[in-house]
Amino acid sequence: MKISVRDVGDAKVVEVEGDVDLGTSPALRRTLFESLPRAAKVALNLKAIRYIDSSGIATLIEVLKDSQRLKKEFVLFGLSPGVEEVFRLTHVIRIFQVFQTEQEALGTA
Amino acid sequence: MSDTPRRLRIKFEMPSDPRYLPVVRGAIGPLAAAIGWEESECRAITLAVDEALANVIRHAYHKRPDGLIELECLESADGLEIKLLDTGDAPEMSKICAREIGCDQPGGLGTHIIKEVMDSVSYEQSPDGNRFVARKLLRKTP
Repeated sequence: MKISVRDVGDAKVVEVEGDVDLGTSPALRRTLFESLPRAAKVALNLKAIRYIDSSGIATLIEVLKDSQRLKKEFVLFGLSPGVEEVFRLTHVIRIFQVFQTEQEALGTA
Repeated sequence: MSDTPRRLRIKFEMPSDPRYLPVVRGAIGPLAAAIGWEESECRAITLAVDEALANVIRHAYHKRPDGLIELECLESADGLEIKLLDTGDAPEMSKICAREIGCDQPGGLGTHIIKEVMDSVSYEQSPDGNRFVARKLLRKTP
């Protein structure tokens, strides 16, 4: 799994590529938790994720809850059909703000 | 030659180390496709098997990487059977699928995924260890 972070205005865009599973989700968790206090909004691009399991989804839920505590925004965009399927199976999609594109996620569309 | 058709059986013996999970995932999808499921079902079956293995790593072996997990995947006349055996701590039955569906708690998602994807799931303790068996039926479209 590869993770990169870039600044766009007062937001941070986190890009993830590869598989998010029990072995790799701690690294994603670390990056997202480090990014949250340093930006008004964190937007996670899921487009290049080939695979995500429940530990990955649990990580996103934890980050969402921390963003609410810190009064920051945590949004998702670029869900592939495979990732969408896992969200459907876990019934948690409704708790997230999900967008098609980065521009929509950042409110610059 | 026997009249009984030969069927595929795959057996893995893997350490309880998450770095081996992609290896197993790489085999389950093509197996499900060969049996006859379509792509999204193959992804779901792969996820269910991965979640079952991850649960053993997390809860039976508490993320210790030196435990042994035996995984057997059997093509059957009507679908697929998955069997797992481990010698770690037994699962707490009261915690399986105890999470409320759709809530915002991060834990307990894996067992819900397994239950949703597979047609039957059972957990039992045997003299050999903890056994997990899950079956998925292939529903042929007329």
